[in-house]
Amino acid sequence: MYTLSTCPWCRKTKKFFAERNIPFTYVDYDLADEATQEKISQELDAAGATGFPFDKIGDEVIVGYRPERYLSALGK
Amino acid sequence: MSDEFVRAISTDEIAPGGMKTVEINGDEIVICNCGGTYYAVQRRCGHMNAPLDMGTLDGTYLTCAMHCVQFDVTTGEALSGPVPPYFGHETPPPMMGEYLQNIGMLMKHVRTESIRTYATKLEAGWVQIAL
Amino acid sequence: MNAESRKRALHYFFEKVVGPLGFKFTPDTELKDFLLEQEVILESKHGIPFCPCQPIRHDRERDMQIVCPCIPFHRKHFDAIRRCWCGLFVHKDVIDPDSLPQLPPKEVGLE
Repeated sequence: MYTLSTCPWCRKTKKFFAERNIPFTYVDYDLADEATQEKISQELDAAGATGFPFDKIGDEVIVGYRPERYLSALGK
Repeated sequence: MSDEFVRAISTDEIAPGGMKTVEINGDEIVICNCGGTYYAVQRRCGHMNAPLDMGTLDGTYLTCAMHCVQFDVTTGEALSGPVPPYFGHETPPPMMGEYLQNIGMLMKHVRTESIRTYATKLEAGWVQIAL
Repeated sequence: MNAESRKRALHYFFEKVVGPLGFKFTPDTELKDFLLEQEVILESKHGIPFCPCQPIRHDRERDMQIVCPCIPFHRKHFDAIRRCWCGLFVHKDVIDPDSLPQLPPKEVGLE
């Protein structure tokens, strides 16, 4: 998942997976180096995402804090 | 230092929301009329000394015209730093000339003042300064 | 620079801007406080109070669109979801901000 260190919804999404003991990796966009930021920026544009959090569960991309969507994506 | 008050300006000289500069004992002071309550601050912006009376007063918030630094006139507190004109890897726009002219226009009103000095004393290899 | 006084000043200025657009500060005061604090941090770092939940692209034209309050640049989107992206502002008639999901433009038929 791509997140921002300043975003409360990003914290919530990390907490969602941590509480359910579901392993995840994340990159805080604002704390990343320029090259990584550019890469994430392009990925956001490709998915039509204008903000964070940006979660990838398998092939599914979920933008925004969406607990119901996380559950349904994990169920698959 | 005694708390001696001197007359600065009459109440009919500044409309509510307005500002005016007065000079008292060589100090330039901006008087702000905030809805009938008056506040007085130094004229020189705490950032780069631009004349604050040429900025905008909104409520009790004064925004400097040069770099948009904001002050609370009730306490003098600087609430923000300057807004950067450009980000690191940008090309300045063709309006740069206009921008410089605008800055020059503001700077024209800034007095260059003599600087304060401090008494010095030498003692045992140290230079001491009286504050 | 005192964070509390800066938050108060931002509140004062933002309220005047978002009101005519049909928005108000979220009734969730804890969220509002947190977001304003993040904006003060971002402002002290970049000189500008950016949205704490959108990417700073280091491109002037794009970054202008996430300077808080960024509602005018995302009017259709935010009117559709009745909140701004980070949730600092909601439509004036919103009483329960928790009921407003954070939907991207694509999911409300935009872009």
